[in-house]
Amino acid sequence: MASNEAIQKDLEAREYDAGFVTDIESDTLPPGLNEDVIRQISAIKKEPEWMLNWRLEAYQHWLTMEEPTWAAVDYTPTDYQSISYYSAPKSDKDAPESLDDIDPKLIETYEKLGIPLREQKMLAGIKGSNVAVDAVFDSVSVATTFKKKLTEAGVIFCPISEAIREHPELVKQYLGSVVPQQDNFFAALNCAVFTDGSFVYIPKGVRCPMELSTYFRINALNTGQFERTLIIADEGAHVSYLEGCTAPMRDENQLHAAVVELVVLADAEIKYATVQNWYPGDENGVGGIYNFVTKRADCRGDRSKVSWTQVETGSAITWKYPSCILRGDGSRGEFYSVAVTTHCQQADTGTKMIHLGKNTSSTIISKGISAGRAQQSYRGLVRMGKNADNARNYTQCDSLLLGDQCGAHTFPYVEVKNPTATLEHEATTSKIGEDQLFYCQQRGLSEEDAVNMIVNGFCKDVFDVLPMEFAVEANRLMEVSLEGSVG
Amino acid sequence: MNLIQQTRQDALALFEKVGLPSKRDEDWKYTDASRLADLLELGEADTSLNIEGLGITDLDAYRMVFINGMLNEPQSNLPADVRMVSLADLQSDVADEDREDLAQLFKISGDEPLFNGLMALNAAVATGGAAVCLADNSVLDKPLYILQVSNQNNVLRHGLMLGVNAQAQVIEHFISTGEAHALSNCVTAVILKAGASLEHTRLQQEGKKQSHVARVEVKQLRDSSYTFHGVELGGILSRTDLVVSLSEQGASCNLNGLFVLDGRQHVDHHTRVDHKAPHCISRENYRTVLDARSHGVFNGKVVVHKGAVKTDSSQSNGNILLSKHAQIDTKPELEIYNDDVKCAHGATVGQLDDKQLFYLRSRGISEAAAQELLTFAFADEVLAAMSNQVVRSYVEKEAFAKLPHGADLDGLLGE
Repeated sequence: MASNEAIQKDLEAREYDAGFVTDIESDTLPPGLNEDVIRQISAIKKEPEWMLNWRLEAYQHWLTMEEPTWAAVDYTPTDYQSISYYSAPKSDKDAPESLDDIDPKLIETYEKLGIPLREQKMLAGIKGSNVAVDAVFDSVSVATTFKKKLTEAGVIFCPISEAIREHPELVKQYLGSVVPQQDNFFAALNCAVFTDGSFVYIPKGVRCPMELSTYFRINALNTGQFERTLIIADEGAHVSYLEGCTAPMRDENQLHAAVVELVVLADAEIKYATVQNWYPGDENGVGGIYNFVTKRADCRGDRSKVSWTQVETGSAITWKYPSCILRGDGSRGEFYSVAVTTHCQQADTGTKMIHLGKNTSSTIISKGISAGRAQQSYRGLVRMGKNADNARNYTQCDSLLLGDQCGAHTFPYVEVKNPTATLEHEATTSKIGEDQLFYCQQRGLSEEDAVNMIVNGFCKDVFDVLPMEFAVEANRLMEVSLEGSVG
Repeated sequence: MNLIQQTRQDALALFEKVGLPSKRDEDWKYTDASRLADLLELGEADTSLNIEGLGITDLDAYRMVFINGMLNEPQSNLPADVRMVSLADLQSDVADEDREDLAQLFKISGDEPLFNGLMALNAAVATGGAAVCLADNSVLDKPLYILQVSNQNNVLRHGLMLGVNAQAQVIEHFISTGEAHALSNCVTAVILKAGASLEHTRLQQEGKKQSHVARVEVKQLRDSSYTFHGVELGGILSRTDLVVSLSEQGASCNLNGLFVLDGRQHVDHHTRVDHKAPHCISRENYRTVLDARSHGVFNGKVVVHKGAVKTDSSQSNGNILLSKHAQIDTKPELEIYNDDVKCAHGATVGQLDDKQLFYLRSRGISEAAAQELLTFAFADEVLAAMSNQVVRSYVEKEAFAKLPHGADLDGLLGE
């Protein structure tokens, strides 16, 4: 089909349009990883001793672990001694009061990306809602807005290093309780060296008055980004958290090993949405971000609910399985994902739904689009334990292939130990149907529009559940990823 | 040393190198092969077992009977136009114009998909087996029924080679007598030449303590067609690797599986279909019914290689757990390196449909009977693909008897 070839060609020619480097001096630790580096990071963050010990424990354990190789991705192994584990913008003053205190170049970067840091002005056109941005520029949170309004509601939303200092009781109680230090190779590394991230605590019965949002951006050359996010929704609380990322273009592979922990107590709900558009490398797969992320939610309370939504278009290598442990009776987990891989990108992503409580339910909708020479895998696990009476799961994972060089793979694990559990799993893989294209064209649409429409329709199930504030961002990304290349 | 002896020696060396699979191997994650470690020694085969009345007695077929891994010639009768070479003949230095062809069926290499040490061991120590060759354009007028009775460790290795446009129906039936802890290790290698067609049934009814490991390896050439029915009713631990290679254009395969398990039975089927050529079709349908503390494992992998355009593949796997202690692990996998494909898979785990239950009960059928009937209907859908009605009704009866209240309902099944 001419149109498929056209898309392919365009996809191949597609360049990373968020690729630019902001030139600010960085305060960076020399490359290498040892206990001293960890002590230094801990000292820079003014952390209490228990935190340092926690990091060191993780580090000791990490030394005994091996990098996992089971994922269907192929990459040059990272030399962990050649990475610098800390980088902070020079102009960082302790918690800048207003935007005027912030390095104008930084603001410029965000503006290029269209990030609504300047109050809600840029978002006003969307919904007129308030979005608090805890902007992370490299490793230090630079600005936090809307703090006052959140404080009034009793919501704690701050950089995790601040939380460690100011809310040690909460951090001590929950940090590592969902993703323990020994969980996996990358999580252990993160525990040892994480430099920043967000901390959110929503007290009992509070509905967070606004959507919370963090924009990550990797900047200084050769710094790995180790974010740690911890979100706690106490009984009956509700929060929607948005995370979006873009990164400047560069040649060397960069490691990103984040950990996200969500704790959901009874009747609480967390919605976690991600738009990920890190630099995917050039068309030959040179450069690009390694994205090895551990994301997990623990539905501890009855009737608690977690929803993961992700739009993944970036990174050279993605290794990411947002998971839900459905412990509480009647708890619910959702996973909605759109992943686009082009050129030489490789993504091994999926989810885990661990049903432990009674009447738990989960939904998995995963849409993969693979083009160029990209390889994409869905790897999922649905486990229903002995006591998960009446557990229910519905899984659908569809892949769309564009081009005869790409690959799409599915590895769904299903483990059921309860006779009352009901599970359905469906997967399909195909290219855009010629009959579909023909039908659209016969109605007067151009080939490009038709392809666009079909791709959009393919992803619709997932875009529909994105928060309003994010849908625009996601659409923009998809436009860049596919539409722009078609037209 | 001839080709076969060489093959055996290589296989033994390979086994010594790799040993038994462990739970750390991804393909053996759910099945503990270490339980088989004590069952690898082969003793003197006891060929005196009484096999009177065993097997599908009313089946009109050519028969081959193996007792503890040894061919029992008096009980066997083979069609005149089928050339059968026993393993012993293959090993002897007697010249055979097709030895190289046949040796292919016995070859083993560590690079094959789903390879494991047990298969190497099989090649190395197999005591019996048959290489059946069907000439081009010949059609076997009656099914070939291979009955394999054991009460000891036994290792069998068969080869089936169908010539161009040849057609056959082969039924392998495994039965153990007695309650010994023993292991049957069986490999069947199949080569289907252009346009050949084979319907292959494996009916596993080993004894309560007998374990069973098997590998069925099928290589299909142009426009050939292969239908597999794997029925698992017996044994304590049973593992089958089914590896089908669609090597040339237009080949198609149809793989059906049914497990009806109870007690502490553990049955694991790993299937792998390689689409290596354009315009090939694969269909897969597996159903399991698991009671008591039984454990079912199904892994269905479809690999679409580069260049295998217009591939059409679909797979479905349905599972019903009847008990709180039963467990199912299923993993339908797709690996696709090509865009011009239509692939789908689906898996379900669930219970019986309330509406269907209600319907039957409203017709005056008791709840237990209604459940039984629906469970049976669920399982029987797989058996419907069997073309041989004698085999099918035998399997239906045996499967029905394994359901919790099956015996009471025998009348409902009819004749």
